[in-house]
Amino acid sequence: MDLTAPIDPVDPIDPVTAAVDDLYKSHYGKIVSALLTSFSDTTLESAEDAVQDAFTKALTGWTAATIPDNPAGWIYTVSRNGLISGLRSASRFSAPIEPGDRAIPDFSGSLFKDQQLRLLFACAHPDLSPKVQIVITLKYVANLKIDAIAKALGMTTDGIDKLLLRARKKVRDDGLFLLDPGNPAGLRHRLPTVHKIIYLIFNEGYKPTSGTDAVNESLCEEALLLCKDLLDHELADNATVALYALMLFNAARFNGRTGSSGELIDLDQQDRSQWNRPMIALACDYFRASRGSRLTPYHFEAAIAWLHCSADSFRETNWRLISRLYLRLLRMNPNPFVELNYAIALYFAGGKDKAFEVMHGLLQQPFMNGYYLLNAALGKLYLLDGDHTRAKKYLERTLEQTEHPLEIAFIRRLLENVH
Amino acid sequence: MEKFLLLIREDLQIRDKLTPAEFKHNIQIMTRWVEDMARSGNFVNADPLTNSGSYVGQNYVLSDGPFIDAKESISGFILIRAESLEQATSFAQACPLVLNGTAAVEVRPIMDMEQKPWEKWI
Repeated sequence: MDLTAPIDPVDPIDPVTAAVDDLYKSHYGKIVSALLTSFSDTTLESAEDAVQDAFTKALTGWTAATIPDNPAGWIYTVSRNGLISGLRSASRFSAPIEPGDRAIPDFSGSLFKDQQLRLLFACAHPDLSPKVQIVITLKYVANLKIDAIAKALGMTTDGIDKLLLRARKKVRDDGLFLLDPGNPAGLRHRLPTVHKIIYLIFNEGYKPTSGTDAVNESLCEEALLLCKDLLDHELADNATVALYALMLFNAARFNGRTGSSGELIDLDQQDRSQWNRPMIALACDYFRASRGSRLTPYHFEAAIAWLHCSADSFRETNWRLISRLYLRLLRMNPNPFVELNYAIALYFAGGKDKAFEVMHGLLQQPFMNGYYLLNAALGKLYLLDGDHTRAKKYLERTLEQTEHPLEIAFIRRLLENVH
Repeated sequence: MEKFLLLIREDLQIRDKLTPAEFKHNIQIMTRWVEDMARSGNFVNADPLTNSGSYVGQNYVLSDGPFIDAKESISGFILIRAESLEQATSFAQACPLVLNGTAAVEVRPIMDMEQKPWEKWI
């Protein structure tokens, strides 16, 4: 067999666009931070402008035959030239610096990985809210373009721009991207925040708040990739392992959550044969490896996900143990969403009265009172209980509480069973 | 973590011109913002306020308050937990009504009475 024969071109995208897109995806944040390291007096905005310009030049200037051997080095050099000519008068620096120049940083190997992680830890700055941390992580670590971030988070591009504008000021004032990667101890205290960012990104992908898809798999994938990179580094601890296991358990069940026409399917109706068994097995391996003296909420959430994954059917699920694990989670971290899940697990474990009591307690909180998931859960459980009057009341309330077409369709299907 | 009160100051002239659909949409996007803060463990409590009430001073009670003629009014409050004033400010910056220009958010640290600074004077 001739291994040098070209593979049949199945992808209609032209090779230059594909190469530039890949390069953007893998290197945007790294080249920006490399420029900031070399030019201490430059701003993040001008560094970003220079890198954007270089990518535009690559897109218009490269042909399939002239894509450079070291494309990241080419982008870096062109960005640096652009930055220099912007910083100083053009006359002294008019001579172009040839690619292959001595000052091109090594964009491969371990330094490359370290730089990626350095950026991730930089984004976990304690002065930023989790939402802003997510936005800058997606921008500089996952290298997503602004319109892709806006779409993924259900925000406008203008909103993302405004958040970035303020975050960039923070990046500049605090030298955020210039953290010392050779000092892991200095970064370790940010590890819990980094875990949180990764998990929130995963959950953004998992919940149907944006677009018409039930799951935004690309965001979940980004979170898994970030977590895997972190796992390969000495900074990771057993919470990182538990988080990775938890996300794998959830990702393995993507295919069961939607039906043939994209509609949402509740756990009790899901076809469990569609769950990704090899991925569940992989998650089990990581879950076992996550043992340690310190148990985090990720451990308990992973244990719950494992119980769901290992149950043969909804009915045979160990709801008693799941409800107790939710109780443990609540004690560690009081949170109305965990309380709602606790109540649902209690209901299926046979504790109906207590379950409704907890849910009505949650209804007393103004925010939860108007919250779609609580009212939908109450409607569904009253329906299962045969109380159609109450089921109708709560299900109809949810129609005012969500704008998401998939969620509205889900409620309408439940309402068809109410008499 | 410390507690902060976020006061939503809405521009009444803009609010008055909203269609019912726009008003409903604003509630939805605010709900999502609060939901995000709850999911990340920062949310404590929140309530919207109606645009009526009374205004009480030492020698007077104004039953309709000054709100009717005001240009701006507090339309709700949110109590959150945050690491610092900086981080609380970062939460406020992501408020969808701030991003779309219909409101401003005042961020005020809650005074920590647990600390009892006067105890050392006794």
